Amino acid sequence: MDMSNPPQPSLERRREINWHLPAPYTWRTLVLLIAVAGLLFVSARRVDIDKFLVLSGEAISAQLGLRESSQVGRGLARIGKDLFPITLSYRTDVNRIADFDEGRLPWLAYVETVDHREYRMNPDTTKLEATITRKKVMVEPFGYLTLTVSKMIETIEIAIWATILSVLLSMPLAYLGAANYTPNRVIYAIARGTVSLLRAIPELISALFLVLAFGFGPVAGFLALGLHGAGFLGKFYAEDIEAADKKPQDALRALGASKIRVLRLSVLPQVLPSYIAYTLYILDRNVRMATVIGLVGAGGIGQELKGRYDLFEYGNVGTILVVIFVTVFVLDQISARLRARLIA
Amino acid sequence: MNAPQSMGAEGQHRTMLSFNGVSKQFADGVKALDGVTFDVPRGEFCVILGPSGSGKSTLLRTLNGLTPLTSGRIAVDGVELKPKSLRSMQRRVAMVHQQFNLVERLDVAQNVMSGAVADAAFWRVLLKWYPKSLRQRACDLIARVGLDELHLTRRMGELSGGQQQRVGIARAFLLNPDVILADEPVASLDPATSRDVLTLLRDAARERGTTVLCSLHQLDLAVDFADRIIAMRHGSIIFDGRPDTLDRATIANIYEGSGLEQSRVAA
Repeated sequence: MDMSNPPQPSLERRREINWHLPAPYTWRTLVLLIAVAGLLFVSARRVDIDKFLVLSGEAISAQLGLRESSQVGRGLARIGKDLFPITLSYRTDVNRIADFDEGRLPWLAYVETVDHREYRMNPDTTKLEATITRKKVMVEPFGYLTLTVSKMIETIEIAIWATILSVLLSMPLAYLGAANYTPNRVIYAIARGTVSLLRAIPELISALFLVLAFGFGPVAGFLALGLHGAGFLGKFYAEDIEAADKKPQDALRALGASKIRVLRLSVLPQVLPSYIAYTLYILDRNVRMATVIGLVGAGGIGQELKGRYDLFEYGNVGTILVVIFVTVFVLDQISARLRARLIA
Repeated sequence: MNAPQSMGAEGQHRTMLSFNGVSKQFADGVKALDGVTFDVPRGEFCVILGPSGSGKSTLLRTLNGLTPLTSGRIAVDGVELKPKSLRSMQRRVAMVHQQFNLVERLDVAQNVMSGAVADAAFWRVLLKWYPKSLRQRACDLIARVGLDELHLTRRMGELSGGQQQRVGIARAFLLNPDVILADEPVASLDPATSRDVLTLLRDAARERGTTVLCSLHQLDLAVDFADRIIAMRHGSIIFDGRPDTLDRATIANIYEGSGLEQSRVAA
């Protein structure tokens, strides 16, 4: 065949093509799959996956009427009964309110008269006798909900300040911890070490210690979250600086610009979208974590949650959980929109 | 010397760029430049011609400090290039890049004004808020390179390659440099656009008396645009003269074995 002519597509005289196209899977893939399956099987025994399957099976067969009852079903039913209906109102014995004036009640509040049944032991008969006392109670129908929401707002504020602290701390750490911008190896190692350390300490633990140092309340909360977030952002900001397109940086360097100027004009515009995404993620995470670290007394809704839980007031716990869920859901929607707008 | 007369004013050095025995060996042992010596008079449009790997880019990059020298001397306007004088030199030497090297996520105006990155006050760079005179200059230049007011706030990604290189040229001229280094400025553009962009670069440089050192691999473009051609192979100069003195034998020598033999040869 004459090679100088372009090949003509011809149906009759097709040249034999002797190429080797490798198969997408080989015996090695199979061996690997079997090995992974084996490891997962061993691991499943260690984390009681078998127990999980047995208990879930019992629960399902109980639901289908094949069994009388199941441990899981009973547990879940109890939780449901305890948490619901959730407590929205606040009831206060009017005797406990200083200067109570029935003519000037708070908004939506009303007064209810309830019979309070109390069992006392009669010392003469040594029997329990019910004594009924009439009590006036002021009911604020959404009193507890209002309190929960205000605690939730406090939690969000803690999360916002924690995020601000993370961003402020992580920016210099990212600059010093980016291999191509750090002044020298020692500073680089120190910066990266600090970032790892901050990320390594769980918020719950640092919150415990910070509560000892700063006392109960939001300060410990926002510090614990802020430090942990700085460890996360410092790492990701630095890695994005390192991965940014080198060509525009070259162009500005060639004009005699200092590192920090190159960073501002050529790196920052490139990394800004991902920085916004990371920061919004940290904000989202801080809102969720702020409720958890409240459990150790670091302010916000978690502190309220822990208090109610310890008093067995599960109706109130239910209210708090619902408010947390709604907040997380709404924030998710807001941050998705914000991201779309800022990153465009 | 057969280079055209310089356009420099009285009392200035006639020679703008001076390379003396410039060599560069990379860490992996590759010798990119091997004793390169030549002078460029003020205002000349000098094309460095050669196939890829001949050392053109390295030569250009030694001049603004992007690639440090192994040995030899470089002087700009009579001042020798040293680590100490590098920063002040870099402000007088601008560069136009093959891949444009613009910031994708900044708009045209911001990209052009980033040419003042080393010169503007730090807080201005931080806020990207440049003085009025600089903003005016940027607009003038953007108009000069053939873009409209509409383009000012367009991001790089929305522009064609040719438009992007026009922005790159505007950025290079922003601070009125003495020298413009153009590293394969049209290698990523189609032939017609290449000619437009090179015409723009040459004319804008002539208006301002700017010296241009431009690397190209296309012979036809070099012949049509250069005041003088310096041909390189394996890091050495193998031809230095006016485009009309380039003969077939030399051309064959430049591209021999590189697979880049050009069918179009200057008349």
